[in-house]
Amino acid sequence: MGEPAIAVHGLRKSFGAKEAVAGIDLEIAAGSFAGLVGPNGAGKTTSLSMMTGLLRPDGGQVVINGLEVWADPPAAKAIIGVVPAEARLFERLSGEELLEYAGRLRGLSAGEARSRAAQLLEVLDLTADAKRLVADYSTGMRKKASLGCALIHNPSALFLDEPLEGVDPVSADVIRRLLTRYVGSGSTVLFSSHVMELVEQVCDHVSVIDKGRIVATGTTEQVRGGKTLQQAFIDLVGSRADGGEGLSWLGSSSS
Amino acid sequence: MARLLVQLKLRLLRNALRSSSQAKAGFIISVIAAVLVAAGTFAGLAALRGNSASVDLTTVIFTLFAFGWLILPLMAFGLDGTLDPATLALYPLRMRPLAVGLLAASAAGAWPLANLVGLLGVTVGLARGALGLLIALLAVVLEVLFSITLARFVTASLAGLLRSRRGKDFAALLIIPIFALYELFAQLVPKLTEEGKLTPARFAGVDVWMRWIPPGLAAHAIQDASTGHPGTALLRLALLAAVVVVLGALWIRSLGRGLVTTDTSTQSSAVRGVALPFGRYGLRGTVAARFWIYQRREPSSLIYWGITAVVMIAVSIRTILTSGYLVGLVTSAVLGSAFLGVLHSNSIGLSGPGFGLEAMTLTGRRALRAYVSGQNIALGMVAVPLLTVISFGLAALAKHPVDGFLGMAVALAGIGAGLGLGDIFSVTLPYPMEKRAGSPVPRPADGFIGDRLAGSLGSLVGTVVAVIPVVLGVVFTRSDPATVRMPVLVVCAAGYGLVLAWIGGRLAARAAERRLPELYQIAVRSKL
Repeated sequence: MGEPAIAVHGLRKSFGAKEAVAGIDLEIAAGSFAGLVGPNGAGKTTSLSMMTGLLRPDGGQVVINGLEVWADPPAAKAIIGVVPAEARLFERLSGEELLEYAGRLRGLSAGEARSRAAQLLEVLDLTADAKRLVADYSTGMRKKASLGCALIHNPSALFLDEPLEGVDPVSADVIRRLLTRYVGSGSTVLFSSHVMELVEQVCDHVSVIDKGRIVATGTTEQVRGGKTLQQAFIDLVGSRADGGEGLSWLGSSSS
Repeated sequence: MARLLVQLKLRLLRNALRSSSQAKAGFIISVIAAVLVAAGTFAGLAALRGNSASVDLTTVIFTLFAFGWLILPLMAFGLDGTLDPATLALYPLRMRPLAVGLLAASAAGAWPLANLVGLLGVTVGLARGALGLLIALLAVVLEVLFSITLARFVTASLAGLLRSRRGKDFAALLIIPIFALYELFAQLVPKLTEEGKLTPARFAGVDVWMRWIPPGLAAHAIQDASTGHPGTALLRLALLAAVVVVLGALWIRSLGRGLVTTDTSTQSSAVRGVALPFGRYGLRGTVAARFWIYQRREPSSLIYWGITAVVMIAVSIRTILTSGYLVGLVTSAVLGSAFLGVLHSNSIGLSGPGFGLEAMTLTGRRALRAYVSGQNIALGMVAVPLLTVISFGLAALAKHPVDGFLGMAVALAGIGAGLGLGDIFSVTLPYPMEKRAGSPVPRPADGFIGDRLAGSLGSLVGTVVAVIPVVLGVVFTRSDPATVRMPVLVVCAAGYGLVLAWIGGRLAARAAERRLPELYQIAVRSKL
């Protein structure tokens, strides 16, 4: 692998006594579609927030396309796009205004921002709802609007936190195709998810995080090791429930 | 069913109390207020004994209580889980027991009890003899039942709308006229009473038409029974009971509909216009565009501006028609601009998680300066005309319209100070905000009341102190010709205000540059 697009070394973060991220290392090649998978509370969101300059780490280094994020956050932020887990949007702007706002914040001229916003809304299948307030959007529409905001300045790396959580299959397909096209042009995507089928389907690189540590990383084939990703994941992090053996009353034959 | 729903209401209340010490304190304050209202209403109604206008005043008080029942659930819709039929739609419940249960749940609690106890003051104030007393008891029970069924009917009819974004926005805006009415009451009633212009006798005859509405029927039934007209009294009570039954039937019908329909008014709502304004002014214009739109579309912004206007008018209302009008005019401008500082003292917390979008793009101090000044421009675009118009309006009321320039001068300096201080407190003492169900305006998240107090008081006191030079200018130039005094004061105050806003913006940008990730983490904790 040449110079990685995203390189993370010894990244760590504690909240009080709880160590949320315990010194992770990651290297993702340019043009990769990479997945970061882990159970709830494993440290995915904390890691992504630190990688994107939104949460100050206790230690470690994040380098994106040669720019060290915490040495020069503004320079790094200029070349990345972020889609947070909960779509953090301005609810009282219309979809059209929101994307134009994001473009203008990124330094695009008003005309260019408007033009790109219209094109993104079209591709994201939001044109019919472009003039409605974001407050009235469904979860899927909000995710798509959030993705539009993250892409409008054509970043070289895109970070997505649970991008398809709560999204219907049609919207999920729109998002997946857009991301695949984006990666095809040589840009890099790192996204967190716990939907293993999706990760297995679209990612060429997978990292598994558990209790703040990377427990496996490599190409999807390497991490799977001949099994399904779902099974490999459960083997790596361990099954944590007894399958409800105690619920003897549950089922149609009981009352 | 009635028992289950009353238990549900009490359980919801108990759980809310367990959630935080603030909730406990709020509950204790609410219970104390309910006891005071009950005692005050009882005493007030009882004191009407022997008054020539007792039935008129009783009618007015009964009507006010019914109005309160009608308005409060609209604003507190989300607070009471038993108000929303959708929360019960999943269960196999028959309509009649459900309605009886919801009625019982409505009647449970400190405030309904306070309502009942307070209104029983009529047994002393209006009722005469055993029959009068008996009719009074029945009338009060029917009046409370009428209030509850009316409130339930209205909330059930509007449940779909109140659950929607548009309906919640509308309900939130109701706080402005209610606050205005409260201020009018608080400012005018003591003044008019002091001047002897407000006496019980002045209410005589006000119920000419009110006697035919349900609260009037209840009050007049007591009067009729007490003056030897039991037949008319019973007729009035029968009419009131019929109204309650009809309202109950209408409520059950709308409840049935509310369980299976949803509001679609927001589906068709769209904004006008094709683009964000101020496209030619770079990042500053971009941020100003977003804040400008928010001042118009965000209900809490409209509420803040509405409350600012009400406060400005309210503080001057007692003096504006007297020879000391200038005190009212200046106080109004000082308080209006101080309020702006208070409301703007946590702009990052109020931006909420959306600030993440902005934080990703604020690359360096220059960008942060543009961001802060963009906000100030948008807020100034509302504050300057609003405070100026109110100053001139008050001056015109005082029959000295030219002195509006004096209020304007103080307001311009105060707006600059308020914006500058708000900028500084927004980045040095930010705290997450949250909008609780049913609450029209966001409040600080648990554990941040101290930060709010410090930021608000800092902005308030700072703005008041900052405008002192302009107030002194107004005082010491009294003998100078208006043609010279007014323009000089306005221009100097405007310049002074601009300098204060500029300094505040620069200091805020410098402080924000060092701690942008921390500011983002606070904004992202806001739940708006």
